[in-house]
Amino acid sequence: MRRWKWLFILVLVLLVGVASAKKLSFVLDTTDNRADEAQAIAAQLQQIGVDVQVRVWKSGVLLDAIKAGSRQAYTTDWGSAYFDPFDLGIPKLTTGGRGNYSFYSNAQVDQDFKVASTTTSDGPRDAAYKDAQQQVFQDAPWVFGYVLKNIEAASNAVQGWGPAADNSESLAGASVQGGNSLVIGMRTDQIITFDPAMYRDRDTEAVLRNMFDSLVTHTLSGEVVPQLASSWTKVDDKTYDFTLHSGVTFQNGDPLTADDVVFTFDRILTPGAVNGETSPRAGLLGPIDHVEAVDATHVRFVYKDPFPESLLLQALVHFQIVPKAYMEKVGVEGFKKAPIGSGPFQYERGSLDSQIVLKRYDGYWGDKAKLSQVVFRMMPEPSTRVAALLSGEVQIIQAVPPDLVSRLESAPNISVKTAEGTRAYQIELNNKTAPFNDVRVRQALNYAVDWSSILDNIYHGYGQRLSTAFLPSGFGYDASLQPYPYDPAKAKELLQQAGYDVN
Amino acid sequence: MRLLKILERLLAALPVALGVAVLAFLFLRFLPGDPVEIMLGDTQVSQQQITALRHELNLDQPLGSQLVHFFGQLLHGQLGTSIVKNQSVSALIGGALPATIELTLATVFIALLIALPVGILSALFQGSWLDRVVLSGALLGVSMPSFWFGLLLILLFAVEAHLLPTSGRISSTLLVERHTGFMLIDTLLAGDLRAFLDALKHLVLPALTLGVVFAAVLARVVRSSMIEALHRQYVTTARAKGVKERSVIIKHALRNALIPAVTVAGLQVGELLGGNMIVETIFAWPGVGRLVVNSIFARDYVVVQAAVMLYAITYVGVNLLVDVLYTVLNPRIVL
Amino acid sequence: MSTERLAPTRRVAAVAKPVGAAWGVVRRVLRRPVGWVASVTVAAYIALAVLAPLLAPYAPGATDLAARLTPPSAHHWFGTDALGRDIFSRVLYGARVSLLVGFLTVTITSVFGTLLGAFGGFLRGPFDTVTARLTELLQAFPYLIFAIGMMAFLGPGFWNLIWALSLKGWVEFYRLARGEALAQGATEYVEAARALGQRKARTLFREMLPNIVPSILVLGTLRVGYFMVLEASLSFLGVGIPPSIPAWGSMVAEGRNVLFIAWWVSTIPGIALLVLVLAINLLGERLQEVLDPHRKVTS
Repeated sequence: MRRWKWLFILVLVLLVGVASAKKLSFVLDTTDNRADEAQAIAAQLQQIGVDVQVRVWKSGVLLDAIKAGSRQAYTTDWGSAYFDPFDLGIPKLTTGGRGNYSFYSNAQVDQDFKVASTTTSDGPRDAAYKDAQQQVFQDAPWVFGYVLKNIEAASNAVQGWGPAADNSESLAGASVQGGNSLVIGMRTDQIITFDPAMYRDRDTEAVLRNMFDSLVTHTLSGEVVPQLASSWTKVDDKTYDFTLHSGVTFQNGDPLTADDVVFTFDRILTPGAVNGETSPRAGLLGPIDHVEAVDATHVRFVYKDPFPESLLLQALVHFQIVPKAYMEKVGVEGFKKAPIGSGPFQYERGSLDSQIVLKRYDGYWGDKAKLSQVVFRMMPEPSTRVAALLSGEVQIIQAVPPDLVSRLESAPNISVKTAEGTRAYQIELNNKTAPFNDVRVRQALNYAVDWSSILDNIYHGYGQRLSTAFLPSGFGYDASLQPYPYDPAKAKELLQQAGYDVN
Repeated sequence: MRLLKILERLLAALPVALGVAVLAFLFLRFLPGDPVEIMLGDTQVSQQQITALRHELNLDQPLGSQLVHFFGQLLHGQLGTSIVKNQSVSALIGGALPATIELTLATVFIALLIALPVGILSALFQGSWLDRVVLSGALLGVSMPSFWFGLLLILLFAVEAHLLPTSGRISSTLLVERHTGFMLIDTLLAGDLRAFLDALKHLVLPALTLGVVFAAVLARVVRSSMIEALHRQYVTTARAKGVKERSVIIKHALRNALIPAVTVAGLQVGELLGGNMIVETIFAWPGVGRLVVNSIFARDYVVVQAAVMLYAITYVGVNLLVDVLYTVLNPRIVL
Repeated sequence: MSTERLAPTRRVAAVAKPVGAAWGVVRRVLRRPVGWVASVTVAAYIALAVLAPLLAPYAPGATDLAARLTPPSAHHWFGTDALGRDIFSRVLYGARVSLLVGFLTVTITSVFGTLLGAFGGFLRGPFDTVTARLTELLQAFPYLIFAIGMMAFLGPGFWNLIWALSLKGWVEFYRLARGEALAQGATEYVEAARALGQRKARTLFREMLPNIVPSILVLGTLRVGYFMVLEASLSFLGVGIPPSIPAWGSMVAEGRNVLFIAWWVSTIPGIALLVLVLAINLLGERLQEVLDPHRKVTS
């Protein structure tokens, strides 16, 4: 009788054990461009007893669902145009940040970011960013991913052009052997607008930067150099003065003055200033108070809080100066139909979702463009772009899929070129809800994904592992921090500790 | 009298078109994804602005009054403004329509070119090896998944042989001013023969993809109605009277055999005019079909709503047209 | 036409013994080589689909990143896809999806459509008017937009797909059944049944429906292929079967990005689909010759 009793208890214990240790299972949401990667990851997680369902979405719709907090794990990417975590780590990991899709919150990280974005000297900023990286690494709010190189390709006849780290396509210096026009196959299906106040994406910027000038600009590798501003000085922690080049004219002949610069920033900083709509770009400038003209050739940027010079300069690269008088004369709608800037190329014709034709602006104040015409052609299908380049239909293409690089390299008259990428790709986890509110589960996933196999095979070595959410090209990057290694045994151990069955 | 009948049919068709409009309206209201959020995208906006936009789009009203508003706009000839592209829907559809019509006409041309001779010949030699080849070929065509066939053609003619372009309507190096929206006409208007040939080359693969499948359906109809016609009394009589065989076939049999062919062709054209979503997507053909697919994925329901109505109206209209054509081809039929 | 319509006595007799009648139909279908080849092909597909776990050399989801995009070889008969998955194994498993979707959808839509159509055509009245109007609406609503919209609403998934296809797919069966019911309502045997005082339901189920069955069977067979292509088209567009389940349409779509460097990824699943649909359509045609020689279905 007693023996039976023990047996009964044993069975009961076993049953309870089996029932309580359940498998970890979740849905991994992704979009078309990363479906392969997501499925490879799902297969890898299967190996340690994690059940993953991949769901492929159309990007806009997925983002809605993520923001609503109804998703568990999702592939995301976020570009940084500042070469500083100011527009990557900060929006994505600050509590309640604009891009904080993982609902991550750590008071110390918040404090670090506050220091880094309001202190003007490099030392403390660097230290703050490095501390944030240590914190984030331990917390593992995401499955940290990688940064991909920008892979673009061009016909060998094209000279004076190269892919840029910030995806801009500066064609002012480009020339084509035996021709004076050029077509570039864009990766997007449409650019947003010709109004420099009303967009927030890189593809639109790539076109606009050929039509408009900014106060400063980037070299291909991301270094800030003068453009409309010949020089600048820091008056104090909250005040910066810029001196404008003289003799600059817009493409309608009007001179470019400090008034135009102030007007450009006013319509971005004032809510509802663009026909009742508000520019989505104000956030890029940080805690700015206002912009004012000192005289015809001097502009002053005044901040509410101290703001580092490097960040301001990085920001100003992305603000194209528009002509005040012309904009006021034709109105926003008129401007969108016939945009006027001070850049090396001026708008000729086209539409946002098919192709845009620009012609050389002969009155350009700087080095005039070599080509008389450039065409930006929207070609969202990667294979279409590649085919068009192979057939000579276009001379430059953006975003070559790593799989197709070998095909282009085998063509005799085509070169594939790369630039350092500035976009972080990862799998974000919803830190607010189960199962990913448990740090052990999040860390386990970081150990469980074999990134090197994915980067080597799917991305043909064009990707580089990231230890956290910070880019190697950005300020304050901690190169000593090693990414989570691929360690399935460790991952299993962590999952078991968290109460999951891993067999 | 006949006109009156046609008018009557037209009036009867109206409720169908209206019903589809309501159905499309309701259907799209239940798709998930908030259009306002999509519109504002990745921007930082206040709750106030969201509310304002919702009001502007009439989305804060109950469904019933949204519907009334929608029909009110329709009566004024307004299809609304695209949420995603911020352009008027009529402009978007109007811009895409010529591309679709051009593709449709080319498809019909190819289909007739194949189906008529093939169908007639196989009817004349019914039961022969030729007939059997035609029949199996036609069934193959009917069974063909167009998305796969299109890719196969791209693989063969564009990727491997480099004979034809993979997608689009014209090479991007060629700039053609838009007058009519029909690439073949616009290039000719510009007097640019090279561009015309280029546009023609772009048209071949998508038109072939659709045309072969269409031809398969059509050839079967032509064949069977031709066989039927050849056995009719009047054909036998004509033969007995000693009318020349060629004349018998063309004047007597073919004319009657064409009636079912016209029906089938008409209905197919109706479907094609709405834009073929699959083929236009594969060949990046900027027509209505691709517009609709992209709009569904982007939750741009204003565009989808309008396009569905366009479909319904075309469908109803083509049905009507087919009926009218019937009477022209065969005056004995009364509507 | 009227003389042909007067065959009902024979047809009713034929369905009196359903099993015997079915066997007779099968024998007649198989009499011609076309019917024979088509039947064997479809049967082979079904067998391969059922036995997929035994026959597939690899698990359909097993990725091998080091072996991605390898051309057809002795190891991988149909090559591998962008994740290094064995395409042969995936094609085998893909047959399950296509067959299931095709036959399930046809079963649902034919039962629903036929009953609704037969009731409507037989009973007439306001119920018939309402459903007839509804089908007119649905017919004017383009199928692919309808299905894409539904799938965008429901999200990818096997059952979601079945519902999205079925919600509109019943219309053809409805129209056929209603047309036949209307025509047969006027024929002698139904009138005779009425005169004899048979109950309506009895007349409907015992006399009329059995006579509609052959046409429905022909239409049903032809629709199987149609639904398979539709499913594949939706999966191709990314709104059909979710990526965790191998389906031919999504396999073709996956190959589209690598068409330049790996022709086999797109082409082979497409051939598998084409052959199956062709065989089913051949079978449908042969069935039509046997059951419905006057072509009520396709004309």
